[in-house]
Amino acid sequence: MKSMAIVIREDAYDKILTPLVFAYLASAEGTQVDILFVNWAVKALTVEGAASLCMDGRHATDEAMVRENVAKAGLPNDVYHILKALKATGCVNFYACSLAGAIFGVNEGNLIPEAEGIVGASWFLNGKAAQADHCQYF
Amino acid sequence: MNATTVTTTLDTSGKCCPMPIVETNKAMKGLAIGDILEIVATDVGTRKDIPSWCGRTGQTLLSMTEEKGVLHYHVRKDR
Repeated sequence: MKSMAIVIREDAYDKILTPLVFAYLASAEGTQVDILFVNWAVKALTVEGAASLCMDGRHATDEAMVRENVAKAGLPNDVYHILKALKATGCVNFYACSLAGAIFGVNEGNLIPEAEGIVGASWFLNGKAAQADHCQYF
Repeated sequence: MNATTVTTTLDTSGKCCPMPIVETNKAMKGLAIGDILEIVATDVGTRKDIPSWCGRTGQTLLSMTEEKGVLHYHVRKDR
């Protein structure tokens, strides 16, 4: 697999871990990974948004346990540090959906420097997702 | 060097997916062709992950052993 595209819409801390882990694994094989953050998940591409991600609903009371076990597994247990680690591989690119940014308050002023930028979904879907060897939606 | 002389050992004990693979990839980048990386792991997911990672990345898995829940892999860097 030479390339993989991922679309992330879920912003709960536990739910965003899986696509980020899959990206980390793919990067370890030199696979180019492009990730589009849509809906509430676009907030993860801001420092404050990444720090505020939490677990929802019936799992919310287990968040401390989950974060502790994530750290035991060897991963950073906060999302921004995971994003930094992914970026450091040189294989992973992050994009903020422009519509999501407009709705949920992400702009070029608060976008983390690790992100490539704010893009239209059409560009990503045609230029990245449709061209990738594999595409996943979370 | 014979086929089982270990150049570097990477201990991932206690860590889980994706870290054994991520750290194996990093360690391999620092080795020369023909060097042998020993990987120690306790994540049972590595039983499938490390052999398949070797296959896809062109490295050679020389051996895989398991004793009392600790897995040892010897991987030769071939590319």
